[in-house]
Amino acid sequence: MKEKRDEELMKLVNKKDRRALEELYDRYIKLIYSFVFKFTNGNAETTKEIVQLVFLKLWTTKSSYHSSKGKFVNWLLTVTRNVCVDYIRKDSIHTQNNQQMNPHLPVEIADPVDEIEKKLTFNEVAAAKSKLSTSQKRLIDLLYWKGFSLTEIAKMENEPVGTVKSRLHQSLKQLKKHLEVEDL
Amino acid sequence: MGRECENLLSFIADELNDNNKRKFEKHLQHCTECAKEYEIMTDAWHSLYLDIEEQKVPESLKAEVMDFVFIEDEKDRKLKSSFNINEWFSQLYRQFSPIAAALIVALMVLTIALSFSNMQLRNEVKESGQENIVPIEVLSTLSLQAADQTEGNINTGGSAVILQQGEAKSLVVQVRDLPRLEGSEVYQVWLLKNGKRKNAGIFKPDESGAGILTYELAQNLQFDQIGITVEPDQYSTEPRGKKIVGSS
Repeated sequence: MKEKRDEELMKLVNKKDRRALEELYDRYIKLIYSFVFKFTNGNAETTKEIVQLVFLKLWTTKSSYHSSKGKFVNWLLTVTRNVCVDYIRKDSIHTQNNQQMNPHLPVEIADPVDEIEKKLTFNEVAAAKSKLSTSQKRLIDLLYWKGFSLTEIAKMENEPVGTVKSRLHQSLKQLKKHLEVEDL
Repeated sequence: MGRECENLLSFIADELNDNNKRKFEKHLQHCTECAKEYEIMTDAWHSLYLDIEEQKVPESLKAEVMDFVFIEDEKDRKLKSSFNINEWFSQLYRQFSPIAAALIVALMVLTIALSFSNMQLRNEVKESGQENIVPIEVLSTLSLQAADQTEGNINTGGSAVILQQGEAKSLVVQVRDLPRLEGSEVYQVWLLKNGKRKNAGIFKPDESGAGILTYELAQNLQFDQIGITVEPDQYSTEPRGKKIVGSS
């Protein structure tokens, strides 16, 4: 199992191989746990529940990962984020979480997962993000980390959905630009 | 920027329904502008997760996650294997809007009604078919003549035929050149057996004096002669009027 690639592991999981699921857990739990922890605003109990649902999703999903879908870690985190969004949409904590977020401090990761792009470090994204305006950061966080829909954000911002879309578009584009500059 | 291009952000945020998702994926294949932007957007989107702080994962979590997954999956499979009719119905219900559901119910009722009437029709056809299978046979024929040949109705006459089809027997009386009737008068057919008369129905002839009558004969009914009288109305149980025609 140890020497299997992520794609192979996921195929085995599709075939209900328990050891493959455990291997995926070992490889990615730190990333998934940290992601969900941030998504739930540091609620350990909710984080546990969501992590359980993420692995249940991986175990029962009909869809499989193909390398054509991009990097495995991106696919995995898309699955994770979808479970998070579904969870908070069912739960009332969604409204409670609707507050301005605290800026996140850059952190060192001692043990980065193989699949994480080497070029980008956690520092760099936080740094690039810090170069955006407060309202740009807020928009991105509402969408990505709070799981609000574009329509909901438009209501909160009191703006047409089209405007929110183009503001987000510009914000993400700028973020990407900042990341590239840092990369040089 | 086309209407489809506006869906880029919704696509990235996974907010499109399956249909629109497919549409946008198609759009991406030939809109170079969107394809370029999509690449930038997904790169930025997928870098966002890196803005996390590493957390220490509780030691006990692995066992809790694995237990949860395998127990839930087992439960789910048991649930699926035991066919749940309520779930099936509620899913069916969710599939259709109220109007569509009402339409379907109406169509179903119509279909059932039509099949039922079709079935009945088929049975009728079958029955009538069976009737047609059994041939009609002529049991006997009686010749009918005018009772009083002096009265200038010399041409008056006809025939009475007894028919049999399977178990059923019937009598057909056909007479021509009958004298014209007045008012409520009718012709009445009587079956005679040992001097007793039995009513076999009434009829009215047409302008030319031609009349016809069919009468279903009871199984055990027998008679020797037939007489036709003219009656003042249709209520006679015994002949009240004059005999016009009789079998010889």
